[in-house]
Amino acid sequence: MAVTTPTTPSRTGNGMGLRFSGAWLPALVAIVTYLTLPFGRPGRPFLTIEPDLYALALGAPLLWIVLLGAVASFVVSLLRLNTAVRGDVLIATGTVGLGAGVLWFILSATPFGIGALLTLAALALVLGHALSESGRIQGDAFIATSILVVSLFVILFIIYPLFTVLRAAVIIDGSFDLSQLRRTLTHPLFFFLDNPRSQIDEIGLTLRWGMVVAVLTGAWAVFRRRSVPVVALRLVLGGIAGLIIGVLLYGRGALPTSLLTVAIVAPTCTLLGLAFALLGQRARFKPIRRSLDVISVLPIITPPFILAFAMIFLLGRRGIVTHGLFDMSTNWIYGIPGVAIAQILAFTPIAYLLLRGSISSLNPALEEAAQTLGAGPWTTMRTITWPLVRPGLAAAFLLSMIESLADFGNPIILGGDRNYLATEVYLSLTGRFNPNEAAAYGVVLLALVLGAFFIQRLWLGGGSFVTVTGKPSSGALAPIPRVLEIGLTLVLFVWTVFVAALYISIVVGSFAQLWGVNYTFTTRHYEDFMRAGWPVFLYTARVAAISAVPAMLLGFLVAYLVSRHRFFGRRFVEFGSLLSFATPGTVMGVAYIFAFNTGPWLLTASATIIILALVFRNMPVAIRAAVAGLAQIDPSLEEASTMLRARSLTTLRRVLFPLLVNTLVTGLIFAFVSAMTAVSQVIFLVSPGNQLATVLLLGWVEQGQLGRAAAMGTILIVSMLFTILVVLGLAQRISARVVRVEG
Amino acid sequence: MDSTTTVVKGIQPATVDLRGLLKRFGKDVVAVNDVDLFIERGELLTLLGPSGCGKTTILRLIAGLERPTAGQILIDDDDVSRLPAYLRDITMVFQSYALFPHMNVFENVAYGVRVAKRPKQEIEERVHEALAMVGLEDYGKRATNALSGGQQQRVALARALVIRPRVLLFDEPLSNLDAKLRKRVREDIRSLQQRLGITSVYVTHDQEEALAISDRVVVMNQGIIEQIGSPHVLYTRPASRFVADFIGSANFIPGHYDGQAIDVLGYRRPHVQDMASGPVTVMVRPEAIEFAREGEEGVEATYLSSAYLGPVTEFIFDIGGVEVFATISGLGMSVAERGDTVRLRFNEAGVSLLPPE
Ligand SMILES: Nc1ncnc2c1ncn2[C@@H]1O[C@H](COP(=O)(O)OP(=O)(O)O)[C@@H](O)[C@H]1O
Ligand SMILES: [Mg+2]
Repeated sequence: MAVTTPTTPSRTGNGMGLRFSGAWLPALVAIVTYLTLPFGRPGRPFLTIEPDLYALALGAPLLWIVLLGAVASFVVSLLRLNTAVRGDVLIATGTVGLGAGVLWFILSATPFGIGALLTLAALALVLGHALSESGRIQGDAFIATSILVVSLFVILFIIYPLFTVLRAAVIIDGSFDLSQLRRTLTHPLFFFLDNPRSQIDEIGLTLRWGMVVAVLTGAWAVFRRRSVPVVALRLVLGGIAGLIIGVLLYGRGALPTSLLTVAIVAPTCTLLGLAFALLGQRARFKPIRRSLDVISVLPIITPPFILAFAMIFLLGRRGIVTHGLFDMSTNWIYGIPGVAIAQILAFTPIAYLLLRGSISSLNPALEEAAQTLGAGPWTTMRTITWPLVRPGLAAAFLLSMIESLADFGNPIILGGDRNYLATEVYLSLTGRFNPNEAAAYGVVLLALVLGAFFIQRLWLGGGSFVTVTGKPSSGALAPIPRVLEIGLTLVLFVWTVFVAALYISIVVGSFAQLWGVNYTFTTRHYEDFMRAGWPVFLYTARVAAISAVPAMLLGFLVAYLVSRHRFFGRRFVEFGSLLSFATPGTVMGVAYIFAFNTGPWLLTASATIIILALVFRNMPVAIRAAVAGLAQIDPSLEEASTMLRARSLTTLRRVLFPLLVNTLVTGLIFAFVSAMTAVSQVIFLVSPGNQLATVLLLGWVEQGQLGRAAAMGTILIVSMLFTILVVLGLAQRISARVVRVEG
Repeated sequence: MDSTTTVVKGIQPATVDLRGLLKRFGKDVVAVNDVDLFIERGELLTLLGPSGCGKTTILRLIAGLERPTAGQILIDDDDVSRLPAYLRDITMVFQSYALFPHMNVFENVAYGVRVAKRPKQEIEERVHEALAMVGLEDYGKRATNALSGGQQQRVALARALVIRPRVLLFDEPLSNLDAKLRKRVREDIRSLQQRLGITSVYVTHDQEEALAISDRVVVMNQGIIEQIGSPHVLYTRPASRFVADFIGSANFIPGHYDGQAIDVLGYRRPHVQDMASGPVTVMVRPEAIEFAREGEEGVEATYLSSAYLGPVTEFIFDIGGVEVFATISGLGMSVAERGDTVRLRFNEAGVSLLPPE
C-alpha cells in the first residue's frame, strides 16, 4: 500500500476518543498567566506591573483555589481516561477555578488586571473543552466555549447593567427604599395635570374630554343596536380613552409629553411607511422606487438628530422658511411639534423598511386569484392585502413607538420647555447629579418600551427575533388604485422635497457666514471643524472601527449558535440580544455607568467602556445580517464539513466565511456606521479624553455653534455615505470573485 | 485488527452496536424508540421505512450530529455516545450531496485530508485515488455545479471515502436522481462498498432500492424496528403486517394453522413455519395466487373485477368477505363475469403466516 494510514497523535490507536484532553493548553496558559501577570490593577490603566498586585502576593484563599483549579485541570487533562469521564472531571476542576476567581472579584471589589482577565478566560476555555469532551454540550470545544462566553457576555453586558438600574431605583444607601422612586414619580418634572399658573382649567378640560368621548362611543354602540352591557362597557372604555387623551393634551411633565409624542409619531410613521412600501413595490412610475431606495439608506448614514438640527435652519427662529420667507420670528418648532416632525422624518424610513419586507412577501398569486374572482383593486386591497400586512403594520407601529420613546437627540435639540423621559434620564444624572432619579426614569422608560415589545411579541405569536423577512415573490402585482397612487405619490413628493431641503440646508449652512443673517460663502466653519472637531472625528472613527469588528464577530457567533445549534440557554441568548436591541440608549448608558463605574470593573472614563457599549449596542445589527446570510446556506454543508472531521472553527473559516463574505462585510459596515452615528448611549460614557463626534456635534448645536455643527454634520454624512457605497461595492466584487475563482 | 476484515486502501471497517437507543425531540416527539441493532463489520445495512419513521435520526445519532436521549452507541468496542462528531471515524453522504459550492471537485474531495493537515503530495495522491474509485479521474478542475446529479453524487462519495472512514453512512443518496440513473448509481455504490469492504448504513424509503443493495434490511416504523433480515427473508417471512405491506404488496386472509398445513375456508395447503397452532392471518403475495387447475385443491373465491396489463392481469377477488388482490400471468386466464365463483390456489413461495388480527 503506497499511502500510510493516517494517525493523528492525539487519537488512541484502536478506540475513538482523545488520548489527552485539549484542555491541557488553556489550563497551562491559566497557570502561567496566574503566576506571571498582575491580577489586580491600581487604577484605570491595564498594564501596570506592580509586585503587590500579583495573585500570589494578594494571598487570598479564593485565589489559591483558582490556582488549584488550573493545576488540577492541567493534570487531569493529561490523564489517560475515557474521554467523557475525563471531561466530567474537568468540568468540576474548571468550574472550581473560574468560580473562585469570579467570587473573589465580587467579594473583594478589586479592579481586575490583565492577569485575571487572561487567567479567567483560559479557565473558561478549559471549561469549554470539558463541556464538549464530556458530551454535555453537543459540538466541539469552540462551540462549547462560544456558548459559555456568549451567555456570560449577555449576563455581564446586557442583563447585569440593566439590573443595576433597577437596583439603583429602589436601593438607596444599601437599603430598600421606595421614597426616591415615589418622589420622582410625583414630581412635576415627571407628571402633573393642574397648572395653577395657566389660564385654563386642565382638570376640567380633561374631564370634559372623558365625557365627550364616552358619550360618542356610547352613542355609536346604541346606533349599532348593541345590547345594554355592551353599551355600558363602551361607555366606560370611551370615558377612559377620553381621560387619557385629556391627560396627554393638558398634562405636563416627561410622561405625558413622551406619550403624546409617541401617539402622534407612531401612527404617522406607520402610515407613511405603508404608503411608501406600497408605492415602492407597485408604483407604475419607476423613478419613485429609486427615490425610495435613497430614503431607506438615509437613516443609516445620518446621526438620529441631524434632521432636528436642520429643522432649526429651515423652520427655526431665523429659519429660511419661517423667517426668510414669511418674516416670522417664531419658536413653534421648539416643543412637541418640532420633536414630532423630526421623529417622523427620522423613523418613517425604518417603518418603511419593515413594511417593505412584509409587502414584498405577499404572494401575488393570492391577489391574482382575488382579481380573477372579480374583485376590483379596492376590494382586493381590503380583503386580501390588508389582512396580510396587518402583522407588518403592528411591527412597524411598535418599532416607531419604541424609537420615539427612546429618542434622545431630537428632544434635546427641539424639546424647548417640554421635557421627555429619555432626556430626563440624562439630565437627572449629569445635570442634577441624582443617580436614583435617573434610575427611576430609566425604569419607567424601560418598562414602557419592553412592555410594548413583549405585547407585540405576544400578539404576533412570538415570531422569533431571529427570523428573516420574506423573499420577494415573483409574479405580476396588482397595481394600486390610481387615485390612491396619485395621492401617495404626492405625499412622497412633499416628503422628498422637505427632506432634501433639510439635507441641503445643512450643506449650505456649513458654508454660510451666519445662518439667517449673512449668507456669504465662507470656509470658516470647516476651519473651525478641522481645529476643534477633526481629532474627535478621527478618534470616533477609530473607536467605531475597533468596536465594529467584535460587534460583527459576536453578532455572527450569536446568529450562528442560535440558528445552527441547540443548547441549554439558547432562548436566553436570544432574549439577551433582543433586550440589548430594545433597551433605549439612554437607559443602557446609565446602566453602564452604574455597572462599570466601580468594583472589579472600574472602566468608566475610558475608551474601553465606550467600545464595550458600542459592541453590544450594535451586535443586534450584525445578528440580523448574519441570520439572513445563514438562512441562505444549507446546514448540511456544515455537517458535511464536520463529518470530514473538521472542527467547527475550521468549518467556519473554510466553509461559512467564504460563502458569507458579503454578509460579514455588510454586518461590519453597518456596525461601524451605527457606531459612528450613535449618540444616546455613548453620551453618558464620554469623558474629556474620550470625546465622540456625535456628542460633540450635539454639544455645538446646543451651544448655537450651528455653522461648525453643520460642517461636522456634512462631513459625517458624506463620509458615511462614502463608506457604505465603496465598501459594500467592494464586498460584492470580492464575493463574486471568490465564487468565480474557486467555484 | 480482526483477521476477517478486508483491508483496502487503508480502510478498517468497524462494527456498530446500538443499545437501547432513544432520541426525543422536545417533549413529545420520540424519533427513535429504544432501538437495539448490531451492524456487522463490512456489511451494508439498510434502514427502510416510511418518511418520518426515524431513519435519518438514527444515522445522525451514529454520526454524532445528534446526541441520544438514552442508550449507547458502540463503534467496535468503544462507547462513543458522548463523543463529538469530529472524533468519530464515521462519515456521511448527504441527501443534498452538500458539496461546497465555492470549491471545485478536487478541493471538495481534498477537504477531509486538508483539514487533517496531510502533506501536499499525500493529499494529491489520495484525492486522485478517491476520484478514480468513483470514475471521475479527469473532473478535478470542474466546478461542482457544472456536473450532473449522478456525478455530484459520486463526488460526494469520493469526498467521504478519501478520509477512510470506518463506517460510512448514506442518507437517501439517490433521492435527487431520476429513476434510470438511480439504478446505475446504486449498483456503483454497492460494488464499491463490497470492493472496499466498508461498513455502511444506508437509509432509504424505497423498498426496491433497499432490497437491491443490502446485505440486511431493517424495516422501521414510528421509531421502532419492525424486523431485521436479509431481503429474501423480509419478503418471504415478514414479521408483521406492516412489513408485509411495506415491502411488496400483500393480502391478509384469516385462516387456521395446525403445525403442518394452513386451512383457509376449507382449502388445506401444506406449510411449515415456526408458529403456534391455532387461528392465524395468512399473508399471500398477489403474484402467488393462481387459478386452481381441474382436480386441484383451491379456495372458493368470487370474481369482482380485473384489469388486463399485457404480461399480467390484475384481479380482485372476494375470499370469505376479504378483498384479495392478485396478479396472474396473462396466459391461461378464463373469461369471467362479476359474481362468478372461481377456485384459487396459493403458491408456496408467496405465503407466510402472521399472528391473527
Ligand atoms: N431536529 C428535529 N427537531 C424536532 N423533530 C425532529 C427533528 N429531526 C427529526 N424530527 C422528527 O423526528 C421524526 C423522525 O425524523 P427523521 O429521522 O428525519 O425521519 P426519516 O428520516 O425516517 O424520514 C419525525 O417525526 C421528525 O419530525
Ligand atoms: Mg430522512
